[in-house]
Amino acid sequence: MKTVQVHPERCVGCMQCMTACAVVHSRAGTLFGALAEVPRPRPRIHVGAGRWNEGFPNRCRHCDPAPCILACLPGAIFRDPAGGTVLIDPDRCINCASCAMACPFGVLRFHPDLFAPAGKTVAVKCDNCLERQQEGLEPACVEACKSGALTFEESDAALRRQTNTVAAALSPVDDSWPPAGIRHAELLRFRRTLTELRRVAGR
Amino acid sequence: MKHLVIGGGIAGIVALETIRRHDSRAAVTVVAAEDHPPYSRPMTSALVAGTASPARMCLRPETFFADLGITAVIGDRVVALDIEPRAVHTAAGRRISFDRLLIAAGAEARLPDVPGADLDGIFPLRTIADAEGIVRVAATASRAVVVGGGLVGCKAALALRHRGLPVTMVITSSWPLSQQLDDAAGMMLRAEMEESGITVLPGRSVAAFRGNGGRVTAAVLDDGRELAAELAVVGKGVVPAADFVSRKHIRTGTGIRVSEYLETSVPGIFAAGDVAETFDLAGGGWRLNAIWPEAAEQGRAAGENMLGRRTAYPGSLARNVIRAGRLDLATAGVTVPPKGETGFTVVDHLDHRRGCRRRLVFHDDRLAGMVLVNRIAEAGRLMQLIRTRRPLTLPPDLLLEISLGDCGWPICI
Ligand SMILES: Cc1cc2nc3c(=O)[nH]c(=O)nc-3n(C[C@H](O)[C@H](O)[C@H](O)COP(=O)(O)OP(=O)(O)OC[C@H]3O[C@@H](n4cnc5c(N)ncnc54)[C@H](O)[C@@H]3O)c2cc1C
Ligand code: SF4
Ligand code: SF4
Repeated sequence: MKTVQVHPERCVGCMQCMTACAVVHSRAGTLFGALAEVPRPRPRIHVGAGRWNEGFPNRCRHCDPAPCILACLPGAIFRDPAGGTVLIDPDRCINCASCAMACPFGVLRFHPDLFAPAGKTVAVKCDNCLERQQEGLEPACVEACKSGALTFEESDAALRRQTNTVAAALSPVDDSWPPAGIRHAELLRFRRTLTELRRVAGR
Repeated sequence: MKHLVIGGGIAGIVALETIRRHDSRAAVTVVAAEDHPPYSRPMTSALVAGTASPARMCLRPETFFADLGITAVIGDRVVALDIEPRAVHTAAGRRISFDRLLIAAGAEARLPDVPGADLDGIFPLRTIADAEGIVRVAATASRAVVVGGGLVGCKAALALRHRGLPVTMVITSSWPLSQQLDDAAGMMLRAEMEESGITVLPGRSVAAFRGNGGRVTAAVLDDGRELAAELAVVGKGVVPAADFVSRKHIRTGTGIRVSEYLETSVPGIFAAGDVAETFDLAGGGWRLNAIWPEAAEQGRAAGENMLGRRTAYPGSLARNVIRAGRLDLATAGVTVPPKGETGFTVVDHLDHRRGCRRRLVFHDDRLAGMVLVNRIAEAGRLMQLIRTRRPLTLPPDLLLEISLGDCGWPICI
């Protein structure tokens, strides 16, 4: 099964994914139309700034087991049995923010939404663009990302590719690590790749 | 292998689902005292407020146990537990033997030990039955009094106020949620509750209830004053529902003491949820952290361990989120360092521009606790730092800068 893979080291912070996500979750489906809509369509992916002001695309990891599912007081969060996507039923959501406390990635937002009963503030997060996927399309954020920071692929393939990246990064240039001349940015990238690799491997 | 679960609350049902996910054939039985399909206990306050129906509170369908092929003994309670040979006895006289047992009996509301506490019109708030009783009396009551300023007291007061009843809240501390909130956040919550029309009486307790014809008519305060009220809701905390467990056989502190595999001192007997005393990640030691997310996590880990799939549960962390009017509050871990203990640093930060307040409590080089007022959407990221007890690499004040709930993008605000 294909899932969205995040490669933060490639993010240039352009926020195209956020715009695309908001648009795809609007009634109009176009940027122009979306901007005029009430409630305002909002993204489910959030590009934050890291410590060195580098971009960091943050979206729901559809964890398994998912802390948010276990924390949800009325049982509004559930897993789509087919693809494993973690979804929120806006009808059942009581806006209690128990999920916000449970999500280690801080990806939930609370606002009125096109997909919720009118006027109701609910918890909103990434739905993996299930509707688009049914039509054979990639999730909107992946389609929008021009720098390769978001890819849609089998997690096995992604893991293999990342293993290679780390292996390449670890290949001795010098007999000491970190190699004497390594740039700060490279070190950073390596650290991130490693973190991501651990995440994918579930550690 | 015969599995038995006592209690059909969130800890019990998550454990049952976990067992069934991995083992479709094992014999599984549940004894659940409440004659109601599994429901959301925290939503009992929504039932009082009138914002949820009993149907909306159901967590699983009526056919849940049957669908999973679980033998369900509903409306009966376990009254005794034999360790050798392994079996439980129920109030209705059943004897159920088991190989692996999960005690997920939750907790019961602590009732006030004052004269008149048995009058009609005085309720705890724990079950659907309590909530339905409150709603019935609230329909004709002209005033209500809420005793206790914990989470349940706050939720009850807000819910009754939402129904339009005049509500007086009697709390022994100076502000509500005093176990979790520091003075600044606590006074903000108190002001917000007062603004919503709730009268808060701090530093007072109820010494007795007075009644007429068996029904409550007033609460008598410790200073002798009388508060007229036809309805009283008492939120004085909970006690683990473990009276069928013999302390001689199973190690019990405030609750049933469990290992990191949710196992009690008797191998093969597990405990999870509000009934269990678990390792406390913030303070160290064992503690009853009687909250929903931990009950669910414990139920999951207990289910895995009952099947012999070793699954560690590192420990529980006290936490709280409450939305009261325009105020959103999130707290976790140590929020006020214990007096006389060293190694704690407290960073308080008020952000007028974004209208939020943060308190971070550090213990040596780790984040030990937090109080967030407003902009709480990313509170889980700080929770994760507290939970994992990882030494911090960022300077403390930089953590305050992490844009919690605000990524700065115009279409995101
Ligand atoms: C009004 C209210 C608001 C709350 N709000 C929050 C909140 O916002 N956030 C949060 O984290 N937590 C909240 N809680 C706490 C939360 O509801 C509990 O932590 C959670 O329900 C614990 O689940 P449990 O399965 O351990 O126990 P319980 O839900 O208590 O379930 C145990 C079940 O076992 C049954 N039982 C007991 N003894 C026996 C026996 N001997 N034999 C058979 N069955 C037995 C009981 O009848 C009960 O149905 C709130 C609680 C209340 C009352
Ligand atoms: S919302 Fe957070 S906890 Fe829930 S699945 Fe997504 S990333 Fe995991
Ligand atoms: S805010 Fe909604 S989705 Fe999140 S825990 Fe509460 S009810 Fe569940």
